[in-house]
Amino acid sequence: MFKKVLIANRGEIAVRIIKACQEMGIKTVAVYSDVDACAPHVHLADETVNLGDPTPSESYLNIQKIIEAAKSTGAEAIHPGYGFLAENPDLSQACIDTGITFIGPKPKVIKLMGDKIEAKKIMEKAGVPVIPGYHGTKQDNSSLIKEGKKIGFPLLVKAAAGGGGKGMRIVHSEDSLEEAIEGAKRESKSAFGDDTVFLEKYLDKPRHIEFQILADEQGNTIHLFERECSIQRRHQKIIEETPSPVMNPQLRNKMGKAAVAAAQAAGYSNAGTIEFMLDGKLNFYFMEMNTRLQVEHPITEMTTGIDLAKWQLRIASGQALTLKQKDLTQRGHAIECRIYAEDPLNGFLPSVGDLKKVEAPIGPNIRNDTGIETGMEITPYYDPMLAKLVVSSENRAESIDKMIWALSHYVILGVTTNISFLKKVLEHKEFRKGNITTHFIDNYFKEWMVAKRKLPIDAIISLAVYDSIHSKREEVVRYKEADPHSPWKHVGRWRMGAGI
Amino acid sequence: MFINYEHENHVYNVTVKRRQNQYFIMYDNTEYTVEAEELTPGHLKIKLGDRVIKCVITEGEKDKLVFVAGDVFKVKNVELTGTKTTKKKKEEGDLSSPISGRVVNVKVKKGDKVKKGDILLVIEAMKMEYLIRAPYNGKVEKVNFKEKDLIEIGEITVELTKK
Repeated sequence: MFKKVLIANRGEIAVRIIKACQEMGIKTVAVYSDVDACAPHVHLADETVNLGDPTPSESYLNIQKIIEAAKSTGAEAIHPGYGFLAENPDLSQACIDTGITFIGPKPKVIKLMGDKIEAKKIMEKAGVPVIPGYHGTKQDNSSLIKEGKKIGFPLLVKAAAGGGGKGMRIVHSEDSLEEAIEGAKRESKSAFGDDTVFLEKYLDKPRHIEFQILADEQGNTIHLFERECSIQRRHQKIIEETPSPVMNPQLRNKMGKAAVAAAQAAGYSNAGTIEFMLDGKLNFYFMEMNTRLQVEHPITEMTTGIDLAKWQLRIASGQALTLKQKDLTQRGHAIECRIYAEDPLNGFLPSVGDLKKVEAPIGPNIRNDTGIETGMEITPYYDPMLAKLVVSSENRAESIDKMIWALSHYVILGVTTNISFLKKVLEHKEFRKGNITTHFIDNYFKEWMVAKRKLPIDAIISLAVYDSIHSKREEVVRYKEADPHSPWKHVGRWRMGAGI
Repeated sequence: MFINYEHENHVYNVTVKRRQNQYFIMYDNTEYTVEAEELTPGHLKIKLGDRVIKCVITEGEKDKLVFVAGDVFKVKNVELTGTKTTKKKKEEGDLSSPISGRVVNVKVKKGDKVKKGDILLVIEAMKMEYLIRAPYNGKVEKVNFKEKDLIEIGEITVELTKK
C-alpha cells in the first residue's frame, strides 16, 4: 500500500479521500489555490502545496504544477477525485511518465471512454444497447443539422468530452438547432478544451440509472448495483437514490451484467460507473462511462457497506478484489441530496459570499460529505456544490422522511442554498410514489421557481424575540460581565431578571 | 418595542413586549404569547402553545439571516417612517448581468439591429453559460464589454434603444 498520496482536488471530495487515506494509515498531500488557503481539505491534510492563482487552468487543472507537487512531497500516487483532471488522460499519462501511480484507470481507457463517440462504438460491439444518434466526425454546423433532422426532434446536443450537464442542449425544433450546437461547442471548449459534439434521440419517460463498477488489475470486475439519478435540473443531478424504485431483480441482473460487460469491453480497472438511460418500457441504453469516483458514490456505500474510496486505493496499489459478485447485497435504501450555493428563487443563479454559520444535521444514518465550514468564503471560481447530505433507512419512505428532517436542520447562513427546493421535491407526491423521470423538475417545478415567499409567522416571532433579547439595553448588561467564559453567559440574559 | 422588518419588498410591522422569559408579539392584529430562551448565541428555542419553533439567526452588516425549519430568510430592520421602502422593480428590458462571471462571447456591435430574443452576450460563471437576450426589438447603442472581460452582477451589458 502507498505511504503517501496527493489529492488533486478540493472541496468535499478532497476531504472524503483524505479521510479514507488517514483511516488506512496513508499520509496525505492537499493542493490548493490562493482562495482555498483556509479550506477544510487544506486543514485536514498532513502536507499542503499552494498552486497559486485560483483560475482552474492555473491551479486544479494544471497538470505540471500537480505533478511537481507530488514529486516535491514524495507522494507515490495521485487521487484525482471527480471533475477537474479526473477524466483527463494527460494526468494519468503524466503520472506514468514520472513513475507516480494514478488512482484510476489507464490513460488509454480514460481517453476511450472520454470520447463518447468511440465509447458507444465499443459498447455496440460488446452487445450493450446504445441510444440512436449521430456520433460521427463531421462537425461542421450544416452536417450536424442534416444528421439532427435524420434523428428527429426532440434531440440532445452533447459535448463528446462532456459530463455533469456541461455542453449539453435539448433541441425541440429545427429552428433552434444551430444555436444549440454553437452553445454546446463553446461551453465544451471552455470546460473541457474540446468542442466535438454529438446528437442523440431524446427518450420517452427516461430515467437515468447507473451501475457502480469495481475492477481490479487482475481482471476481476464486479458491479455494486444501481443508482437512480433521474432527479436533475439542467442535466445536473440533484437527488440520487438506491435502489431505484423502478428496479426489479430480473432487470437489475440484466443491467448489472451489461454494466460488467461494458467495463470489461473497455478494459477497465479501478472504480467506475456505467450510465444507462431507461425508457418508460424498461428498455435500457448505454449512455456513457464515468472513469472515476462518482459524486453520488456514498449511497452505494451506505447500502452495501463497502468503502469505494478505499477500494480505489487498494486496486491502484495492485491488490486484487476480495469481494465476489454473489456475496454482494444491498440493505435498506439510501438517498443523497446535493446542496448547492444557488438561489432557487432567482433562476438558480450561483450565490457567492461569506458563510456566517454552517451547522450540519447529526443523527443515526446521516452522512454529511462537505468541504465547507463557518467563516469560509464561497467564490465564483469553482462548482457551486457545498455538500452532499446522505441518509439511509430500512425503506424508501423512511429515507425520504429522514432526509426531510435532516434538510430542515441543515443551517447554512451567508449564501443562498437550494435546501428549500430539495425539500419541496422530496415532499412531492409523485416523488414519494417513485414516479420520476429526468423531466421531473421541468414537469412539476417550473411554476415554483418564480413563486415569491412571504415571511412566515415563525420567522417573524423568531426575529422579534431575538431583537428583544439583543436590544441595546441588553448589550450594556452583556459587556459588564466579568468572566467572558462564564457558563452563565450562555444561559440567556433574561433569566437574570433583566426584563424590559 | 416596535420593529419593522423588510423582506422581499414587503414591510412587516411587529410589536414585542417582554416579561422574564415570556414574550408578547403583536403582528397583523394577533397577539402571540411565547416562551423563549437563547440556547447558544443565535440559537433560539421558542414555545408557542404546544409547538416549538427552533431558529438560528445571524447578523450581517445590513441584514439578518433567519433559519427556520430548513428555510432561510434575509430580513432588514427598517426605521419606522410610515412609508414603505420598495426597491425599484426590474423593468421589462433589463440588460444587467444576472451574475458575476466572465464574458465569453459578444454577439452584437454598435449599430446592430436586433430582434426580441436575439442573443446579445454570453456570460460564463461557475462553468455554466448565461445568455443575455434582447428584451425587445431595437438598435445597439453601446456594448459595454468585450470577450474575456470580467463582469459583475448588476452591470449593464449592452445599451439598447427600443424600436
